[in-house]
Amino acid sequence: MRSLRRFLADRAALLGTVLILLLVLAAVLAPVLAPYPSDVFDFHTANRLRPPSDAHWLGTDRMGSDILSRLLFGARITIAIAVIAVGTAVVIGVPIGLVAGFYGGWPGDILMRVSDVFLAVPQIVLAIAIAQTLGPSIENVILALSLTYWPFWARLVYAETRSLKNEVFVESAIALGASPLRVMVMHVLPNIASAIIVRTSIGMGATILTAAALGFLGLGAPSPTPEWGRMIAESREFLPDAWWYATAPGIAIFLVVMGFNLLGDGLRDILDPRIRRGAAGKA
Amino acid sequence: MRRFEIILTRLLWLVPTVVGLVVIVFAIANVVPTDPVRIIAGENANPEQIEALRVKLGYDKPLYVQLLRYFADLLHGEMGTSLYSQRPIIDDLTSRLPATLELTLAAILLAVALGIPLGVVSALRRNSLLDHGLRVVTVSGLAIASFWLAMELQFLFAMKLAIAPLNGRIAGFGPDTVTGLFIVDCLLSWDIESLGSAMRHLALPALTLALPAAATIVRFTRAGVLEVINSSSVLYQSAMGLPRPIIVWKYVLRSALISTVTQIGLIFGVLLSGAVVVEAVFDWPGLGTFAVQSILQSDHKAIMGFTIWAGCMFVLINLAVDVLQTVIDPRSTR
Amino acid sequence: MSTKALVLAAALAAALLPATASAQGKYVHANNSNYDTLDPHAVFDVGRAATRINMYDGLYRWVDNPPKQIPWLAESHEISPDGLTWTFKLRKDVKFHDGTLMTADDVVYSMERILAVKRGVGGLLGPMVAPGNTKALDAGTVQFKLSEPSALFGALVADIAVVNSKLVKRNEKDGDWGQAWLAKNEAGTGSYKLKRYDPAIGFIAERFKDHFYPWGPKYFDEIEFRTVLETNTRILGLIKGDYHGLDGYLTPDAIDRLRAAPGVQVIEEESMRVFQVSFNNQRPPLDDVNLRKALSYAFDYDAIINDIMKGTVIRNPTIIPNNMWGAPKDVKGYTYDLEKAKEYLAKVKQPIRPLAMGTLAGFSDTEQVAAILQNGARKIGVEIKLESAPWGVVSSRTQNDDQMYDIVGYPKSTFYADPNNWLGELFGSRYIPTRNVARYRNPEVDKRIEKAMLATTPQAERQRLNEEAARIVFDDAPGIWVYNTKWFGPYSAKVGGVRFSPIGNGQEMRWAYFK
Repeated sequence: MRSLRRFLADRAALLGTVLILLLVLAAVLAPVLAPYPSDVFDFHTANRLRPPSDAHWLGTDRMGSDILSRLLFGARITIAIAVIAVGTAVVIGVPIGLVAGFYGGWPGDILMRVSDVFLAVPQIVLAIAIAQTLGPSIENVILALSLTYWPFWARLVYAETRSLKNEVFVESAIALGASPLRVMVMHVLPNIASAIIVRTSIGMGATILTAAALGFLGLGAPSPTPEWGRMIAESREFLPDAWWYATAPGIAIFLVVMGFNLLGDGLRDILDPRIRRGAAGKA
Repeated sequence: MRRFEIILTRLLWLVPTVVGLVVIVFAIANVVPTDPVRIIAGENANPEQIEALRVKLGYDKPLYVQLLRYFADLLHGEMGTSLYSQRPIIDDLTSRLPATLELTLAAILLAVALGIPLGVVSALRRNSLLDHGLRVVTVSGLAIASFWLAMELQFLFAMKLAIAPLNGRIAGFGPDTVTGLFIVDCLLSWDIESLGSAMRHLALPALTLALPAAATIVRFTRAGVLEVINSSSVLYQSAMGLPRPIIVWKYVLRSALISTVTQIGLIFGVLLSGAVVVEAVFDWPGLGTFAVQSILQSDHKAIMGFTIWAGCMFVLINLAVDVLQTVIDPRSTR
Repeated sequence: MSTKALVLAAALAAALLPATASAQGKYVHANNSNYDTLDPHAVFDVGRAATRINMYDGLYRWVDNPPKQIPWLAESHEISPDGLTWTFKLRKDVKFHDGTLMTADDVVYSMERILAVKRGVGGLLGPMVAPGNTKALDAGTVQFKLSEPSALFGALVADIAVVNSKLVKRNEKDGDWGQAWLAKNEAGTGSYKLKRYDPAIGFIAERFKDHFYPWGPKYFDEIEFRTVLETNTRILGLIKGDYHGLDGYLTPDAIDRLRAAPGVQVIEEESMRVFQVSFNNQRPPLDDVNLRKALSYAFDYDAIINDIMKGTVIRNPTIIPNNMWGAPKDVKGYTYDLEKAKEYLAKVKQPIRPLAMGTLAGFSDTEQVAAILQNGARKIGVEIKLESAPWGVVSSRTQNDDQMYDIVGYPKSTFYADPNNWLGELFGSRYIPTRNVARYRNPEVDKRIEKAMLATTPQAERQRLNEEAARIVFDDAPGIWVYNTKWFGPYSAKVGGVRFSPIGNGQEMRWAYFK
């Protein structure tokens, strides 16, 4: 209860939550909110590259489609990519970290070395290499991101599990004859959940940025999918005249990523007091 | 002694790490349906020509043979030949390193020049309007998509105000190569015109990379300074009557910067190997642009080469950062 | 031969004019492709043509629009009655950039090299001439023995770029035909001589004073071709005066901007670059002509031509460019007519699954054409899924029967000026699957194309055969033909004398100068 009150008092974290809620709202209500829902597929080429107006609040794109409508539907893709990719990374990374940390020894070493290999390259580089190889599609972007992000969770869980292993309650559970699986799931996992949640929130922002970069490079979903990074890439050749074209999706990405980052910061303050505010985050 | 042991172990771990990286990259490069030989042969080649080329290039061998061969070549410093330029990939990479290095150094310098003073001020005036404002700015700096920032900077400074070039590294061919860093080379040959051109070209990409980096540095400096200020030694010195500016800039900053230095090192590693998208937007003739070009052309060998190269640099720089940290802060030797 | 007379007159004029030509300055060209190799036998695309045509010479040369060949390194040629033996008389005054005289041996070496490295034009010449069938009869005569009496050989001799055989041989490594060396060095006779080269930047070449073809009174002393991938940079650079010329296939929005800019001229020429969409004619359901016709009627040609391309391109009803001989003039072309599309769709008996269409990543024209087709098809109830991939991937998938898309679209450029470049290559069964990615096979078409290809067939007959074949193909709708591109050459207003030819796209700089 106290945590909740503290969270509500943190205006930045609250703002982050609001931003994320807006994203979810946009995604769910896209068909209702969009002024021209059919513009996700439909073109009005006679009407292309029009600046913002009453009819098109955010202007139109190179095929004459309404940018606002496409942006709203794009929110669905953003959410899908971020949630599935991060979710998969968690599902891969957490068990690996848990097992490696719990058993230690050479199996743990090997698992951690494998994750080291993945961490040896900046994530964007590996994601690009994988996405390029598999071919441009949303599924492959998600796969590339999950494959590159799981080591972060594996590392985190590994470190936390190892320090917990020597705690009295874990040792006593083992001594009482609890199976390793039971100890891991019932005793270790709940105690490291908050660290995982914090990492996941921050990871969502980073994932959205990387996914947008992949889309920008043409490795994401093919047109006419209203993926935000792809929309920015398409706008590039029209930039000097059609300033509105790149602006809208860019700001959308910015707000959503900021939402997750603020939320992550706030959650960390509450759930993970060992880490100071401002002492994490990657360039 | 302990320190050398750690360094040595880490260096030894580099070998399996790179081997693992090669295997992973090799595996993903070979799950694709693309036929590299067809691309090398060109669109006018007929099937017999393609088969002949396949045998010649060794693509007819089983995958594990190709992998072993790749390792053998790698040991000799060979990464194969680019599909397009027909030049050794390792040459392409080394010739593009100075451009990336120059951009990275410029961005880091800019980020440090902005980040550390702002971080200190933010900590000293904790919870002031300035502190809150900076917090918003730093959180924003980490949330902006770099390629979008790059485009907006281009739009404003190159297209509308026309005070900076849109992209590229210099107008035409650069100065005579000594170090490969254009700014340094221009100074060495005292070519003022080229120097101006190089600096103007450097401005926007360096700024793009510097903003998120500065945001990180502000956050870490602020946290570091706050921690030291609240520690007993500063209270003690304060009580001894030392003037506040001296305490801040001489005593506090030195100990506060330890974690910041680590961060700068990590940023350096990321930028040096991974400023892929920003380089591409600015057409900066460095490693990142090379990577994007290789991608667009499905040049798998070049992509592998770049990934391995980036991995090695990243690991080495991280190692260097760790070593540096044990030097500055002996406590961290575990 | 009237061209010969012209050449002579030009030579005379040049000789009579006082040598007043002084420093003419440096021409800077911003190009949208990489000059990643200088090897004239390794590349055959328009984007990198500047290296081949400025630093190297072929036996003949394509000039002007519509393109015609003028004698170049060779003065004349004779064809044996059976069309198999081609004998070329070479000029005797041609010097390489290092001063050595060019002889028939150099031509023989160059031809063997083209056939051996199997890249660039080698893919086209390979089936026509076997290695070892090129002979130097004497220092000034070279003879090619063809495997088939192909008329196309005549259209390709301009692309037999002659390299300095002695120089290249000195730089051969492990029998690589000097490939590693020629990738970054130059060994030609061309109008310009390599001065500086950096694959990441481009190249600078200086005028070759001793070039065999007389120089006009005005010329560029140096030419620099720089790779500038970003369209906006090229446009801004031209407007600001950093560049003097750009590649000529810009978007209509860009052309509008350039036209409005002071100090810029946009030279407009009809080109021969047909945007075509190929259906996979062998795989159901597109093996059904009714579905192919339905899609041909479901494509909004106006949306592309008038709205997106803003009228900068011309509707091209068949696969052969309107301005090429052999194009049937009476064919009107399919129109955007959803009613007719539905009529044809109703005749399709088999079930229609979602179709996969490949587009080229980064080429907005292919993406936009695909989007328009996808949109039209959706209106008649056919689903098309777009898959964007780089050219290398698309190209390699088109070569594999299992991986070939259902539909794929890209512009077909001019490699040589013969209807075969479009009609034969895209729909002749001998080109399945290399260039006939539609896998279209029709004996009636083949019969005509094959006969039109023979050197022994008279020209009037070749034209008639091509027209007939194009009409048959039109009725079978194995693809959609959208438009023929216009070339809009953006140059600084100071530049004069640009000589455009669809082969090389106005990048041969020896004719141009600063006014």
